[in-house]
Amino acid sequence: MTAAALVVKQLVKRYGNLTAVAGVDLEIHPGELMGLIGPDGAGKSSLMKAIAGVMSYDQGSIHIRGHSVSTEREAEVVKPMVGFMPQGLGQNLYPDLSIEENIDFVANLRLVPAEAMAQRKERLLRMTRLDAFTKRPMKNLSGGMKQKLGLICTLLHEPALIILDEPTTGVDPVSRRDFWTILSELLVQRGISALVSSAYLDEASRFDRVALMHQGAILVQGKPQELLQLVPATVVHVRLADQMAGLAQLRTHFPKTLGFGEWIRILVPTADRQQASERVRQILGELPCQELLCEAPELEDVVVERLSADQHETAATIPRAPPRHHAAPAPLARGALAIEAQALSKTFGAFRAVDHVSFRIPQGEIFGLLGANGAGKTTVIKMLTGILRPNSGDGQVAGVDMSHSGPMIRQRIGYMSQSFSLYFDLTVEENLKLYAAIYGVSRHEQRSRLPWILAVTELTARRSALVATLPMGVRQRLALGCALIHAPPILFLDEPTSGVDPLGRRRFWDILFQLARQEGVAMLITTHYMTEAEYCDHLALMHAGAVIADDSPLGMKQTLVARLGHVFEVETQDPYRAQQLLQQSDFPHAHLHGRRVRLFSQDETAIVERRIMARLASQGLGVPGISRSIPTMEDVFIENVLEMERRGRMAAAP
Amino acid sequence: MTPPWSRLELPPFLERLRVLTVKELLQLGRDVGLIAFIAYAFTGDIYVAGSGMQMQLRNATIAIYDGDDSAASRELIGRFHPPEFRIQALLSDAQDGLRLLDQGRTMIMLDIPSQFERDLSARQQTAVQLQVDASNSVIGTWAAAYATQIAATFGTDHAMGGMPTEAAMPIIASHHRIWFNPNSMDEWFVPIIEMMNIVTMLSIMLPAAAMVREKERGTIEQLLVSPLTPIQIMLPKVLAMALVILLGITSSIVMLRYVFAAPIRGSLPLFYAVSLVYVITTSGLGLAIATLVNNLAQVGMAVILALAPIMLLSGTWVPAEGMPPGIRWLMYISPLHYYVEITLGIFLRGTGLDMLWNHLLIMTLLGLVMFTIGLLRFRAQLR
Repeated sequence: MTAAALVVKQLVKRYGNLTAVAGVDLEIHPGELMGLIGPDGAGKSSLMKAIAGVMSYDQGSIHIRGHSVSTEREAEVVKPMVGFMPQGLGQNLYPDLSIEENIDFVANLRLVPAEAMAQRKERLLRMTRLDAFTKRPMKNLSGGMKQKLGLICTLLHEPALIILDEPTTGVDPVSRRDFWTILSELLVQRGISALVSSAYLDEASRFDRVALMHQGAILVQGKPQELLQLVPATVVHVRLADQMAGLAQLRTHFPKTLGFGEWIRILVPTADRQQASERVRQILGELPCQELLCEAPELEDVVVERLSADQHETAATIPRAPPRHHAAPAPLARGALAIEAQALSKTFGAFRAVDHVSFRIPQGEIFGLLGANGAGKTTVIKMLTGILRPNSGDGQVAGVDMSHSGPMIRQRIGYMSQSFSLYFDLTVEENLKLYAAIYGVSRHEQRSRLPWILAVTELTARRSALVATLPMGVRQRLALGCALIHAPPILFLDEPTSGVDPLGRRRFWDILFQLARQEGVAMLITTHYMTEAEYCDHLALMHAGAVIADDSPLGMKQTLVARLGHVFEVETQDPYRAQQLLQQSDFPHAHLHGRRVRLFSQDETAIVERRIMARLASQGLGVPGISRSIPTMEDVFIENVLEMERRGRMAAAP
Repeated sequence: MTPPWSRLELPPFLERLRVLTVKELLQLGRDVGLIAFIAYAFTGDIYVAGSGMQMQLRNATIAIYDGDDSAASRELIGRFHPPEFRIQALLSDAQDGLRLLDQGRTMIMLDIPSQFERDLSARQQTAVQLQVDASNSVIGTWAAAYATQIAATFGTDHAMGGMPTEAAMPIIASHHRIWFNPNSMDEWFVPIIEMMNIVTMLSIMLPAAAMVREKERGTIEQLLVSPLTPIQIMLPKVLAMALVILLGITSSIVMLRYVFAAPIRGSLPLFYAVSLVYVITTSGLGLAIATLVNNLAQVGMAVILALAPIMLLSGTWVPAEGMPPGIRWLMYISPLHYYVEITLGIFLRGTGLDMLWNHLLIMTLLGLVMFTIGLLRFRAQLR
């Protein structure tokens, strides 16, 4: 039997009083793609650095291909077998060197023989399609290209195990899919093992096995499909005329029920869909149900179940806001226009950050801007809030023209920024009171407003805690509280849930949902989590500074189904070859997803299955399984971008 | 029970100013490292400066070759005594002295020729040779000056040896009367100057650090989308830091008074008022720096860069009159120059506003220019 690529036993890493990794067991087989998924601060990076031999650890053992890694000298022996790519875009690269110079530098560092090196460089550059840009300095590459170059540099010395720390965070979905495809291809061709971390739970299905990390420990690990079986349940989506009443009623039976755009999402603890939908109808009783859909639970449900088992915090209904003070901004009627962007554009030098962006957000709606880092989301928010002046275009916020009424707008909006807007060396209450004073909330009014904010954000018990001591999810709720202090009718939230664990994210979204429905607050929220987009009433997809689609989440999916059809996932022994075969035949959208091939088809399930089997059988490939599903938000995003690029090429062609 | 004053509602502008200033003080109060640094700067550093730094010749090492070995030569040698001089070696060979000088083991080499006493007795002119290592030009110059003075006094004493009265000799006897610091106490002068240097440094550094901390954390964005105007963001930082610096000045004054027994002849309230103006106006430079840098480490480097010319041009070490004309004009625009003049005036000369108003006026005007530049830079950055 060959030695396992990696065996980690009871690994513990501490930083002073903080235990970053608390007794982790992990094993990776040769040729396996293992995922390590968890929120910021879960201990992923510490674990990976210890395995890569770049950081010492306190207890436990690490063996790479049977070699122990416990002292620095042992780590040196193992290093040639390991490739490590640290977190952050291009962290292992030199910004001022070109693609080729970066590769040559790393190859020389690793003492790769000149002949082998030329061959590998050529092959890797071709695979990653970077061969056209070899002279371009690394700093001028896009996020996705930087990560691909990083991957090349990690692979040059042909390691047996590669360790990639969050290679896809913040990278746009198209480049992300590209990256995964290249990685899968390499692993299949070269038999390399990989440990890859990610903050996105929806990437789990790309791995052979995943370990879900939380607070330094592995919550659960196994094959993605097996993990989904851990919680036998059905997700029921219902659409009601009176959403809030339905939510309240369903919550008495299923506390984890959530508002989900115009839908309500209920996790019913039975795998039988018939039974699940009947229970939901029964609880709703008199309330007329307009639409009802059943789905299988997602990995996030598994994590939330696991986490809430020991944390036991259930979603609470937020209290009504105290009456507004006369000085508070006048509430706008529900449905009135809260925010409008008209052809907003912004350029920084030669770079067009935002390109003719338009949208309208009525009062009481949660509007999501979905896009990768650098897509222009933050720039849009900065223009609407008056921090940045647009080069052209117009905007209205709270009935006021944004171009010349900055101070008036600022009094009417709440803003929660990407980087945390809190003072870490002040307490919860000190932060709230500070923002109360900044927004001119009188001390008299603070007496009714503060308790409400503390109740809504569930921070009453922690009011005297220093912000620095609070976990990330709690800080985000406080930041929301600070943004709400002056009862603004409009909220701007710039990536508010970045890095927060799934449970914290759900609680945060629950608060946002209730604020929108109960208090009629309009929200513009940005995110790069594809799954999170489904919480929004309405979505705009942003790519390279432009809005490429604008609809409700369900509407977007339906449009894609109408255009391309449903998603089919094909299991097969040689997914790489199967993908090429299928792509060349009737399925141009076929792509690799982990070890499966995904494709779109508008035909009947039986017909599609027959065609796939026939195509693959002709080349001697067996097909153990085909399953059909509706497209994910990521599919929607990627297909929209690809379609736009296709149209762009058509327009450019004579 | 809420105290009655808490029901008092200030107008929004003042209420914001109050709350934001309190916030700065709270944040500073929780930064143990920075508090320790400020406390040390105003007490420990000034103590070290006052007790360690003296601008007089102390313990200069001297090697002596006495080629005469007579009563006269021994008397001359006896005049090179502590605390100014310390005899390092009595040499039997003049060549050894040059070696000691080369090796840096002695600073001064005194060579007394063999016919020294004979010439003196014969009332003939005679010479001694003094070689000084002037690598450190200041100390070297002092050493030469002291030695020259010793030789001159020795010569006069000898010349008058046989004369009946002093008055019979036509020489000018200069009797000094030093005013304001009668014993030329460096223990007074140096720590006062050091205190002003510290005040200058912190007036630039603290507001810059407070501003950059907001930049680093990202909270500045949050303030920018709030209804605060740039001046409302800046002013609380300046006020809070000015308060802290005035507290620091107080601890320094206590030390000056009771550790170094320095006189404070003028009005302390006047000194505080001048300091407040100085601190607030100098902070403009800090705010300008904050717009140029992105993190605390860069603040540190930028402050060092800015401080060097301010201190050199303050006129503390070299009076303005001794500078070349171009540089002299630069000195006249250094606010520290005027602050030093005013402070020395108040502390040592007991001068009042009636004499110092012109300095105060110029300092305020210069400071206002600096503060305005800082404010404009800050506002421009927000655009």
